[in-house]
Amino acid sequence: MTLDISADADLPEFLGGAPADSQRVRRPERAAGERRTPGEPGLWVFILGDMSMFGAFFVVLLWQRRAAPAQFAVSAQELLRPIGLVNTAVLLLSSYLVVSALWAQRSGGMRRATLSLVGALACGLGFGVLKVVEYLHVLGNGRAAPATDTFYTFYFVMTGVHLLHVLIGVVLLVAWMGVLRKGRAVTRFVEGSAVYWHMVDLLWVVIFTLLYLVCAA
Amino acid sequence: MSTRVLLLCAWSGPATVIVATIGFLIAGVLPFPLGPNSSVTEVVGFYSDSTRVAAGLVIAGLGVCLVFPLIALIGVYLVRMEGRTPILAFVQLITGAATGVVLLVPLLLMTAISFRPDRSPELTMTLNDISWLLFITPIGPFMIQNIAIGTAILRDQRGLLPRWVGYVNYWVAFLFVPDVLAFFFHSGPFAWRGIFVFWLAFVAYAAFLVVMGFTLRRAILDESKLDASEAVAV
Repeated sequence: MTLDISADADLPEFLGGAPADSQRVRRPERAAGERRTPGEPGLWVFILGDMSMFGAFFVVLLWQRRAAPAQFAVSAQELLRPIGLVNTAVLLLSSYLVVSALWAQRSGGMRRATLSLVGALACGLGFGVLKVVEYLHVLGNGRAAPATDTFYTFYFVMTGVHLLHVLIGVVLLVAWMGVLRKGRAVTRFVEGSAVYWHMVDLLWVVIFTLLYLVCAA
Repeated sequence: MSTRVLLLCAWSGPATVIVATIGFLIAGVLPFPLGPNSSVTEVVGFYSDSTRVAAGLVIAGLGVCLVFPLIALIGVYLVRMEGRTPILAFVQLITGAATGVVLLVPLLLMTAISFRPDRSPELTMTLNDISWLLFITPIGPFMIQNIAIGTAILRDQRGLLPRWVGYVNYWVAFLFVPDVLAFFFHSGPFAWRGIFVFWLAFVAYAAFLVVMGFTLRRAILDESKLDASEAVAV
């Protein structure tokens, strides 16, 4: 006896029900030449939302600094400014490499795209290594008490949350390389990953300016 | 007619926010919650009006439980999005159930504190610390739930829910990240009462409940309209 459940539309698909009607597609039609959003419009809800969280960090940091600018300056001068500067350059370079990978992939230069992506990945990982070196330095000299020194509270929270973003970005770049290996054209995911990477870069530029330069002044 | 039940589940999202907020206002948790640097007098004083505090917290606890029908509704949509192997739907259901519980337990604990306001102040202080830290810090289930929902929406080819809702879920997951800092700070913006912990989490979770509730409501209504027009066409 065979059990025929294929026609039972009331069951969920995974229990053997009929697949839901594939006619119900709500995919927006796009006319040729229409202005398009990089990635997709919904992605920008995330990008702008995430940047507004960092924006709130920045505002509160500056607000708290008003109370004790001299103390902030003393703390901020403990940071290794060369590492911050090199990290800024590293992320800017990685952003360039991501753009060049995207362009290469669009024009079919898969080899160049792969090389650029490997370079961007190396930059991302290098950024993380330098960050850890700086953490060890800051914690090692015993001056920084993240729980009591407001500057270091913000330093560790902001750079920590940013580092989490970098690591997620690295995962996205690896996934992008998977798309490349299959020889696929630029997908929505690829563009979205590139936009995300630029956001991570942009956020770092502001974090670097505020923590290493403004607070130390 | 199951559309009505589905709509009710969708409304339970915004209802969670409304009922829990009313309960918090009655109990005095809102607008200004106790903080880790509140004095013993303040903490004991908060629980001293035990009837009002308990009543407010009971309402808030019931309100928080309204999230369960919404989680079930999200589960139904995720199952439909994923088809044959609805693994993210299961992840969402498991973690969603856990989020409800980790919100409910600290509220029950706070209600229990108000049960005996004349106990030794030190005990009240300790219990208050435990309930607040339990309330704020278990972000794991929330984040996994949001990532599961976001991934299911973005992988769905049919567009059952708008794609921006998927990205909102990723964003909300990120907004929960600073909550673990509550363990490390006794005052300032990263303490449990701080802007980046209690307030950010409160706003993020409220936004999640309202967005999911209203977009699911829209999807249910669109579909029932589609069903109706198909019935006419036949």
